[in-house]
Amino acid sequence: MSELSVVGQRVRSPDAYDKVTGGKGFPVNVRLPGMLHGKLLRSPYAHARIVRIDTAKAEKLPGVKAVLTPSAVPQIKYHSVFFAPNLDPGMVRDMLILSDTVRFAGEPVAAVAATELEIAEEALELIDVEYDVLPAVFDPGEAMRPGAPQIWEHAPNNVAVNLSFGFGDVEQGFKQADYVFENTYQTQRVHTCYMEPRVCVVDSDRQGDLTVWSSTQHIFGLQEKLAFALGLPISKVRVVKPRYIGGGFGGKLDLGYIEPVCALLSLKSGRPVRIEQTRYEDFITTARHPVKVQLRTGVKKDGTFTARYAKSILETGAHATHGAVVLPVHGLMGFLLTYRCPDVKWEGCAVYTNNMIGGGFRGYGGPQGAFAVESQIDEICEELKLDPIAFRLKNAHREADPHPFNPNFTLSTYRLDECLKRGAQEFEWSKRQSAGSGSGTKKRGIGFACQPLWVSGCVGFPGIYEHSGAIVKLNVDGTADLSIATVDMGCGQNAVLSQIVAEELGVSADAVRIAYADTQTVPFDAPTHASRVTYSAGNAVKVAAGSARKRLLEVASQLFGASPDDLEVVNGRVRLKGSRAKEIPIAEVVELAGAPALTLGLEGNQRTPIADKGTILGTSSLAPASNPSPATAEFVEVEVDTETGEVRPLRALFAHDIGRVISPLGAEGQVEGGFQQGMGFALMENLVFDSETGSCLAGDFLNYKIPTAIEMPGEIKSLFIESNEPSGPFGAKALAEPCLIVPAPAIANAIYNAIGVRVRELPITPEKILAALGKL
Amino acid sequence: MKQVINLELNGERYEVAVAPHATLLEVMRRELGLVGAKKGCDTGGCGCCTVLVDDRAVYSCMTYAMTLEGKKITTIEGLARDGKLDPLQQAFIEAGAVQCGYCTCGMIMAAKAFLLNSRSPTEAQIRQAIAGNLCRCTGYRKIVEAIGLAAR
Repeated sequence: MSELSVVGQRVRSPDAYDKVTGGKGFPVNVRLPGMLHGKLLRSPYAHARIVRIDTAKAEKLPGVKAVLTPSAVPQIKYHSVFFAPNLDPGMVRDMLILSDTVRFAGEPVAAVAATELEIAEEALELIDVEYDVLPAVFDPGEAMRPGAPQIWEHAPNNVAVNLSFGFGDVEQGFKQADYVFENTYQTQRVHTCYMEPRVCVVDSDRQGDLTVWSSTQHIFGLQEKLAFALGLPISKVRVVKPRYIGGGFGGKLDLGYIEPVCALLSLKSGRPVRIEQTRYEDFITTARHPVKVQLRTGVKKDGTFTARYAKSILETGAHATHGAVVLPVHGLMGFLLTYRCPDVKWEGCAVYTNNMIGGGFRGYGGPQGAFAVESQIDEICEELKLDPIAFRLKNAHREADPHPFNPNFTLSTYRLDECLKRGAQEFEWSKRQSAGSGSGTKKRGIGFACQPLWVSGCVGFPGIYEHSGAIVKLNVDGTADLSIATVDMGCGQNAVLSQIVAEELGVSADAVRIAYADTQTVPFDAPTHASRVTYSAGNAVKVAAGSARKRLLEVASQLFGASPDDLEVVNGRVRLKGSRAKEIPIAEVVELAGAPALTLGLEGNQRTPIADKGTILGTSSLAPASNPSPATAEFVEVEVDTETGEVRPLRALFAHDIGRVISPLGAEGQVEGGFQQGMGFALMENLVFDSETGSCLAGDFLNYKIPTAIEMPGEIKSLFIESNEPSGPFGAKALAEPCLIVPAPAIANAIYNAIGVRVRELPITPEKILAALGKL
Repeated sequence: MKQVINLELNGERYEVAVAPHATLLEVMRRELGLVGAKKGCDTGGCGCCTVLVDDRAVYSCMTYAMTLEGKKITTIEGLARDGKLDPLQQAFIEAGAVQCGYCTCGMIMAAKAFLLNSRSPTEAQIRQAIAGNLCRCTGYRKIVEAIGLAAR
């Protein structure tokens, strides 16, 4: 590969200037003339039938312009998940915009739009709802028992989805084992905590055409889901891409209640309508699914897996939505495919309860799997006195193996061994003491965990959108506009994609501008999710930029009197390959390509040297050719106070085969931010609900604690193993999700190393530590 | 009942009618078109709305506008002078301390208040100074680094 000039450089984010001076581009700032403010009336009961809703008083309140109740909205059952088509048979269509049965505390039952927010709030209090309260169930174990309250007719025993995967003969495999280990691990409900609330503005015109601004991770998914729920053709719905959104992490990957409600309120009132969720509403909108994972693992004396079995019970809450996909992703990527083993079986079910609906969250089933698998491997190693690094390497996939999910793909780059060996060396793993051997009340321990297999996209699940497209247009000042549907939610997508365009065109990164886009003006792109943007959208952007470059050289060839193949672009200037004798700036080529055929000058009319006039641009729309797996290991040192039970992570090192690093600053940010989320998951975050009423008890940041700058370790190192993936744009693979998948098991293993006691239930709070130490 | 008050914001005077319960955050975002301070929680839990009142960092979502007559308010919009970024703004860009950016304005204002009284802070002091500001993207490391850069 020739030398790269933009890819791999520590370039500034193209949005950073705007964000440090006020950040005007967030959807929360969208305001339109005549805009109304909407509010949702939410059920106080976790399970109830609505007998009657009286909105007469609310409608009479001055300033109220529209009121919605279940009988006034389309009753089309839909699923809300952006990346799966509406009619995907793997999805469960159990959502309604407003239903006459509520299944979790906080489910909307009515909505109001008014000229002022305060009027809308007052109007909600004037709506009289009579509920027939039904028995509710909040625990997935109880929900599956005979006689439990039935939440949905279509789901006997409240099982929404039941799945099983495997290969080989697992019982045979257990017979060949020298040892069999059985353990159960439980994860909790945690929230993505995107900082910008879910917010939208919907406007309608007199023909009923809708324009939508929303804090969303996917404009095309929002268009498709919203149109379906409203019973409209998609051409009636236009979604405008936000310049950037204030975080998402998977929490803005589905149609909310607010978008269809705003659309209907706008159609009814003829005015734009805005709804911004309160933080409490955000907390009950989306969360990582709690999963109970029972593992049964057979190993030889030397640590070779002979059989692996897992059963996962995932709590999906009141609706199936993401739960129907998190479940198989968890089973496959979080368990089944992680390590080599001849006989493997996984069974799982997603269970309805009357709790809030689970959603997408970075890692999408992976963190729940990794906490179980990586904790248990350490337990096995401790028991059998095996080296946990050697154990994992013995069972790991190898470079050039067929991809375990799709044998049409190859693990053409796969360096878990290097992640572990170099990571261990840099972290001084060899200095690790035996578990619980420290003296004093504050004990230190080190641990690590892997995510051996992950995705650079969606791995080829049959029912999931994966393709991307882009338009790259050159401007007369030598800059390039990149039009693409990809939403930057804070992971640096705009920087990465700009760098790829710049590298391909031969210009500097700041010569690439991210253009306005909406669902009408740009090709389809799958969502910003699944660690897919750098690889999948990156490839599409590279092809579009390459196509623009090809056209640029064709035009320039007329100026040089040479073949396009003999030309190159360096630092924004076209020249004969390797020659500095004559250099023409891109700006000049672009201008000549678009200038009128005759230009008027002092010397009279002159013909321009370019015969075929036109804008220089390139387009693409393509599906990813492969799905190379990143590989990840993370080492952590913690200090456990055995008097208070407090755990303090002291330092972390994240070793990741990422392929080539396109944007180092952004990549480090992914690692460091992923650790914050993973550490919160491991130690403190828990979205608690009242077990009697089902109402959220942790609906603000005073009760839902996430790590602040004080709790975070001062040292988080990123060690990128740049394996140069041949199918990736400039050799890149993926990064985002594993950064959050590995911290929890790494911290759990480090805690064990510190105190010699194992906690198998997250979060590992001081109470659990003290209880495990026999002090409570 | 709304009452007309005078606010001094970024060196300019604004005459604005506010309700007794209106917070500074609401007044800035809804009445004055100043959208740099962000609403992340509205309950004093995230710090996205941080501004300076008489050079002290406050959560504008927890501050009634009516209490601010005669006080000097500085927001992110007032930080850059004559088109030149404040060293903190510059450092946030250089250090890669900006990801989604939603916490950024509040974070910079909290750091600004801190640096007004602290010339050569330690890392621990910087971390303490932004403990009331949540960020979900960066893990804070580059933010701490940026504030250290700006202090120098």
